[in-house]
Order: sequence, then structure tokens, then C-alpha cells
Amino acid sequence: MDLRQHDAEVQEAYATWLDFGTRLGFAASLVAFVLYVSGAMPSYLPLEALPRYWGLPVGEFLRQTGAPAGWGWLQRLGDAEYLNLACMALLGLVTALCYARIVPVLLRLGERLQAALALAQIAVLLAAVSGFFAGG
Amino acid sequence: MEAAAAHWWIWPLALFAVSFAIGIVAVLGGIGGGVLFVPIVGGFFPFHLDFVRGAGLVFALAGTLAAGPTLLRNRMASLRLVMPLALAGSVASVAGAVVGLSMSAETLQTALGFTVIAIGLLIAASKDAYGGAVESDALGAALRMKGDYVDPAAGARIDWRTHRTLAGFGAFAAIGFLGGLFGLGAGFANVPALNLLMAAPLKVAVGSSGLIISIINSSAAWVYIHRGALLAILAVPAVLGVMLGSRIGARLLAVTPAATVRRVVVVVMLLAGGRALLRGLGLWT
Repeated sequence: MDLRQHDAEVQEAYATWLDFGTRLGFAASLVAFVLYVSGAMPSYLPLEALPRYWGLPVGEFLRQTGAPAGWGWLQRLGDAEYLNLACMALLGLVTALCYARIVPVLLRLGERLQAALALAQIAVLLAAVSGFFAGG
Repeated sequence: MEAAAAHWWIWPLALFAVSFAIGIVAVLGGIGGGVLFVPIVGGFFPFHLDFVRGAGLVFALAGTLAAGPTLLRNRMASLRLVMPLALAGSVASVAGAVVGLSMSAETLQTALGFTVIAIGLLIAASKDAYGGAVESDALGAALRMKGDYVDPAAGARIDWRTHRTLAGFGAFAAIGFLGGLFGLGAGFANVPALNLLMAAPLKVAVGSSGLIISIINSSAAWVYIHRGALLAILAVPAVLGVMLGSRIGARLLAVTPAATVRRVVVVVMLLAGGRALLRGLGLWT
């Protein structure tokens, strides 16, 4: 198998997962936002109160509202704004999942250097996801 | 304050409209759109810049993720080219995001204003290079940074390879740092780095730039999520607007002259950069 066929197979595997993850992320974001602004779901901060806080630096915002940082938002998925945040987080995970998908493909094709690069990228993404860089 | 509380819904609606318009212009200009979104929303909307930058990253992330499958399948984006450069850029972007959240809003607004104006002038002055017809350097050959694509306009398969790989790594580390610092997609700088510096053909540079933005911003976005700097009322309308606008922009791309697009992008960047600069200097709050 030549380099061109390798590339085609790897790119198709990445594109398939990227397509699915992106469509899912956007559909979920749309539904979650409608639930949020329609008031169909309870929110942590009432929408009418938000203008008092959204002009504050993030540290002051968290202090005055008591809103969660780090992974604290995961415990508040029953509040509409954090369900919306989960949809944004899903978009932030799609790339790592696509990389994870192509690692076995690259190894099977004997592309060890590319596979190592993909694993290193996954490590960086997972470190960011874990909050390692944010101190959270 | 009572009036502002009663009319909170105006801002997400306006954000959706602005993001929709930027989505159209961004596709036409071959940029991620964060470079327009952050100064415009930071300058004219009531949200703090911390939240605007977080939304700017997600904004550019959403647009580029959505375009990725098409770009990969028609080989306008090359994973072989993207993977090493995106790795350098994503490490640097996380560092930029951490530094950005530690700086004062005034300092950031001033630096953002200078940066955006400089980039606008750079785009106005730059020309496109043909690219592709070079010999690989040793590092580029080891990483097999080459590929091909079918150009419908030329009706031919174009083979390409890149050079100046080490300089390319340095450029993408610097671009990633600025992207994380300001919450920009940084596509404005990716394309010249890939095309002018590394000699990738322009179409491959534009396509691969989008994929690089999606990877780099995936890392930086998590810094903002963990710091609590992603506000749903700001980020979600921006994401929905840019998605819709990008689809329209992709259709308009075929019929809009490139020179017109370039002029539109430069004018908007100069206005938005000037506003950020004046705000940062305390001359127009």
C-alpha cells in the first residue's frame, strides 16, 4: 500500500468520527440553549440577574455568584447553563476522540512516527481536559 | 440596571447576528473568525473580556470542526502536515491561555488592539505564494510532509511537499501562544506560515489551517472551561451563529471576488483593533 492510500484511509477514519461528533455537539447545543432561554429548565443564576455579573472579571464573577470552577460544573448538570457548558465541552473532546480513532489505523499501516505524534497530541489534550494546565 | 435586567435577551440575539455575519466573512476570508469576534464583542458588548476570549475560542473551534470532514475528504487538509504542527501549537496555546487569564483586561485590550491592527495591515500587504514546488528538508522528509489533491479549477492532480520544517514548528508555537492568549483562532497567521514559509499550496494551506485551529483550540478551550470563563449565554449563541453563517459563507465563496473579501476583512480588523486599543488605553471606555 502506498503513502497516498495510507493518507486516504487515515483521513477518512478521522473525518467520519469528526463528522459524527460535530453534528452531535451542535444538535445538543441547540436543544440545551432552547431549554435555557425558554426557562423550561431551571438555571443556577436567573437570566434577569446575569447582566449584573457578566461584566465582571472571571474571578470576581465566581466569587460573587458562587458559580463552580474546575470540574464543579459536572455536579450542576441539572442547571441549564451547565448543561450548555457540557455541550461546549463535548466540542472540546471531539478532536481527542478523532485522534484516538486513528492511532490503531496508523499502527496497522506501520506509520509509527505518526502514531507517536497522535498519542502525544492525545496526552496534551487529556492534560488540558483534566484541568492540569488550569490548576483546576 | 432594571432595564438591563429586563432586556438581557437582546445580547444573545445580537451575538447570534454578529456571529452569523462573522461566520460568512470568516469563510470568505479564509480565517477562523476569532480575530474578528474577540475585538468586536469585547469592544461593543457588555461582557468582560475573560468571557469574550473563552467564547472566541469555542466560536473558532465550532466553525473549524464543522468544516473538517469536507476538507479531509477532498484532501484540502492534510493530517500528515497538520499533526506535528498542531502538537507544537497546542502546547503553546495552553501556555498562552494560562498567561492570558493572569493579565489585566486593560493590558490585554491594548495588546489585542496592536496585534489585530498589525495583522490587518499584514493581510492588506501580503500576496499569495504558489507553493508546492520545493524539495523537502531532512525533518520534513522524515515526517513525510507531502501529499496531493485534485484541483477542480486546474482539472489536475497537484503533488506537493513542504520545506523549512523547523521554522514552521517555531511559527506554529508562536501562533498557538497568541491564539491561547487572546482567544483567537489564529487562522490569519496559519495560512501565511503554511503557504509563504513552508511552501504548501494555498488551498492545502487554507484547508489545513482550519484543521490546525480545531486541534489547538480544543486544548485552550479546556483552560477556560476549568477557570469558569465560558459563559453559556455568550458562547452558545456565538457557536450557533457561526455555524449558520459559515454554511452561507461557503456558498458565497464561489461567487465573491477574493479582492473584495480581503478588503472587507482588513477594514473590519482595523476598526475592531482600533476599538480594542482605545479601550485598553482608557481613551474610549
